[in-house]
Amino acid sequence: MNIASRTMALPPKTPIVRRTPVVLAGLTAIAVVAFILVSRLVTRYRANERQVAWHVFEEGQKYYRSGDPTRALDDFRTALVYDPDNTRYQLDLARALRDSGQPGSLDEAASYLSALWQTKPDDGVVNLALARLAVRRDSIPDALRYYHNAIYGAWNSDPDANRRSARFELIHFLMQQKAFAQAESELISISQSLPPDPALHLQVAGLYSAIADYDRAISAYDQVLKLDPHNAAALAGAGNAAFQMGRYRTAQEYLTRAVEADPNDSQSQHSLETAQLVLSADPFRRRITDAERDRRLLAAFETAGKRLQSCAVSSHVDLKPPASPASPLQTLQSRWDALHPRLKNLRSSLDTDLPDTIMDLVAQIERETTQQCGPPAGLDLALLLVSRDRDTVDQ
Amino acid sequence: MTSRSTPASASAVAPSASPPRPARGNLPRRLARLTLHTDFEEERFFLILAVFIGIFSGLAVVCFRLAIDWSRVALLGLYPHPSPLRLLAAPALVGLLVAVLVIHVFPAVRGSGINQTKAALYIFNGYIPFRSAIGKFLCCALAIGSGQSLGPEDPSLQIGAALASGLGRRLELSREKLRLLAPVGAAAGLAAAFNAPISAVLFVIEEVIGRWSAGILGSVVLSAVSSVVVMRWFLGADAIFRIPVTALVRPAELLAYAALGIVGAFAAIIFAKAICYFRPRLRALPRWTQYLQPAIAGLLIGIIGWLGFPQVMGAGYSSMDQAMHNQFTWQVLAALAGLKILATTLSFVSGTPGGMFAPTLFVGAMLGGSVGLIEQHFFPHLTGTTGTYCLVGMGVLFAAFLRAPMTSVFMVLEVSGNYQIIVPVIIANTVAYVVARSLQPTPIFDVLTRQDGLVLPSLEEQREEEILRVEDAMMPPPALILDAASSLAEAHARIQSLSDTSFLVHMAPSGWNLLRRDDLDRMLKEGKSELTLRSVLPLQQLPILYPDLPLDTAVRPANQFAIIPVVNRANLRHLEGVITRENVLASYNAEPPTTPNLDPSPSTTQ
Repeated sequence: MNIASRTMALPPKTPIVRRTPVVLAGLTAIAVVAFILVSRLVTRYRANERQVAWHVFEEGQKYYRSGDPTRALDDFRTALVYDPDNTRYQLDLARALRDSGQPGSLDEAASYLSALWQTKPDDGVVNLALARLAVRRDSIPDALRYYHNAIYGAWNSDPDANRRSARFELIHFLMQQKAFAQAESELISISQSLPPDPALHLQVAGLYSAIADYDRAISAYDQVLKLDPHNAAALAGAGNAAFQMGRYRTAQEYLTRAVEADPNDSQSQHSLETAQLVLSADPFRRRITDAERDRRLLAAFETAGKRLQSCAVSSHVDLKPPASPASPLQTLQSRWDALHPRLKNLRSSLDTDLPDTIMDLVAQIERETTQQCGPPAGLDLALLLVSRDRDTVDQ
Repeated sequence: MTSRSTPASASAVAPSASPPRPARGNLPRRLARLTLHTDFEEERFFLILAVFIGIFSGLAVVCFRLAIDWSRVALLGLYPHPSPLRLLAAPALVGLLVAVLVIHVFPAVRGSGINQTKAALYIFNGYIPFRSAIGKFLCCALAIGSGQSLGPEDPSLQIGAALASGLGRRLELSREKLRLLAPVGAAAGLAAAFNAPISAVLFVIEEVIGRWSAGILGSVVLSAVSSVVVMRWFLGADAIFRIPVTALVRPAELLAYAALGIVGAFAAIIFAKAICYFRPRLRALPRWTQYLQPAIAGLLIGIIGWLGFPQVMGAGYSSMDQAMHNQFTWQVLAALAGLKILATTLSFVSGTPGGMFAPTLFVGAMLGGSVGLIEQHFFPHLTGTTGTYCLVGMGVLFAAFLRAPMTSVFMVLEVSGNYQIIVPVIIANTVAYVVARSLQPTPIFDVLTRQDGLVLPSLEEQREEEILRVEDAMMPPPALILDAASSLAEAHARIQSLSDTSFLVHMAPSGWNLLRRDDLDRMLKEGKSELTLRSVLPLQQLPILYPDLPLDTAVRPANQFAIIPVVNRANLRHLEGVITRENVLASYNAEPPTTPNLDPSPSTTQ
């Protein structure tokens, strides 16, 4: 019987409404049975798919852990084909995409993570992954947003450590971006909630030093030293922070202890020597006698003169015949020569500006020779630091 | 509506009437009341049935999706990149099996399924054999799973329609309702397959029903929504793709999307022309070759996969997802678009059952991504992402190839869930639709039905038809219009010099009537010359027409009355003109025939 003949055989009108309740009951029963059957079928099929997905995912994880995110991508993608809602697979795929460096992989990672974020906006892991992605894209607003979400978000295990770790990451990112003010505010936040762990306080102190907040750095190092009084790194860090602030006496104390705690710390040893030189060469230090002050002024003047001459020799500049126009070194030599006869007036009360005049010239000589002949060492370095501190005080 | 089901309803109600019998004179009224009640019941039952059709179609589509996934894993393996042996052997051998099944067991399952559903609605009184649902399910699951370049959406549409048709026959619904069930099931099947109820409803209206029909819209919507609910219950509510970030920063960038529309239109034309050219020629080959055609097509597609493009195999949704997320260069995207057109043409013209939706979207996504990347290369300031171009490209191909412009817009909106993309989509789709229609006036599905020897109504052709209106046929107002307050004598004096046989009479305060010359002469002979026209003319006034009405509406009144007044809608007393039966006939005779231009290709029957 063909279609045409069968359609002709259809009843033109039917009294379906007479048996509506029976029909609806029958249809409902069939629908329920079909629903149950399909539900069981889907459940079994999905379970099988999840098993396959886990197997493939484990393969991918092996590649990822061995530092081959590109090979892991295929497996992660396949795993997601069979278990598309698995957040762990999505997260690992996004991480592998982020680390693979393939063109367009960051966009794809962003789409996976954004989808995850839609479902778990307060999840610490997802927000941290999104923050790292924003870091890759140098997007400070997004990075700040997601790092903060991660810091204040929910973590399944060890929330304090994870939040702290996320904040440290954020601080490093801000420092890379030269956003020091924001980094400092994050550091202040983290330092207030640190547990009594010297390593953590040391890390915070180091970050304070890195953003040149030496006051807070010294406080943080002191915190470390309270917990571990002989911590060489903290002593060295505090000494260097004090040194950078021009507090050479404090620096000398810390650095002396640092060298005692770690005799192999050559950096601290060098800083200590410089600090001692500064302390012994600075004519404006308090609690020194007039004779000692004059001695330091004369020593500084002589040292600067020698530095000028050695720099002129190494730069092949003849300091004797005044040229027109004179070079900076020749000008400084002329001024040095002109000032030399006045040194005998050091004790005189009629020439009260002489110490400042001497030290101004010394500072200019040290700065100019540093510019032309490279960084100084020894007493010259000490004189340069003294002049820098004088400028800071003047300002 | 009442008259349609009167006999059946009456016969159904009369025997069970046990309450006291009413008076004999009230019987017709009582029967009419019962009939109305029964019709209401049938309408309500039909709506509830639409929900059940949606549920059953949704369940069928869920099983269909699982079957495709299962056959893919079984035939091509676990990983996205199958081994060379599987790539070459699976589609070829399954092609052979599918050919045997199609030729010997399920002859009605060839093609995508859309035209079969449409034919069921317009030709076979809604009859779709249930066997075709089983055949479609099996053959498509095998074909798509083995890597034939076809999609599951159109088969889902036919499976839904076949289920609905079978259910309607089982319930012995009236022929009228049975005819309407096919599109109801089609919408359910498509909505579940595509997880997009609005697009499914629009597509069924645009492509299957072919006209806007308020009577069926409610049932179609109900079935589509219920099937989507069932599908999401089992398979989740996630979109088919991970949707990329989309944004339109500057309106000037719309030009870039318009360019995509032009490129997409040309791709759609190439796609459609290739199918329309090869399909009838392959079908005209000796019967024994039809066993081999799907296998050869499968082998060629396997070779494409083996050469490094396995993405063209199957529906390709995961590749579309990857394209949206910048995983391909523009060269690869362009190659994939071209190879997908080739692969789909091979699969479809070989008679392998399967749908065109997914391949169309695939080609659109790849083409969109490719054009987007090229545009971004030359104009780096463009802010549209590759994903945006892919999404717009999908809509473009949908509009240009399937010629469903409204569906294409809503499909992209539903798939992306992003309203920001609507302006680029509308611009690109409109450009693509207009260019494609100018290059190939007949849509692909209409060409295919005509190749099969069928002529089915098309919404696009209806859109193209020029409608004759009353204003096209009407004459200017007559020189003489009589006033209803005039006496018969006065009227006689005024018409004496005229040769017309009928005259319009303007009634007060409004309305029009007709005075025939012989009636006037008769009344004058009877001595009624002093009476006014108002007093002698019949109470029933002439019907009136408006100039903008379709001429069809004038046919019936023009047949009943010699002359019909055409008045202004804003002022019913203002006569714009008149129309007569002769005017109507003359207008129709002057109109060129609108018979569709049949495709000259060899005619074959599915």
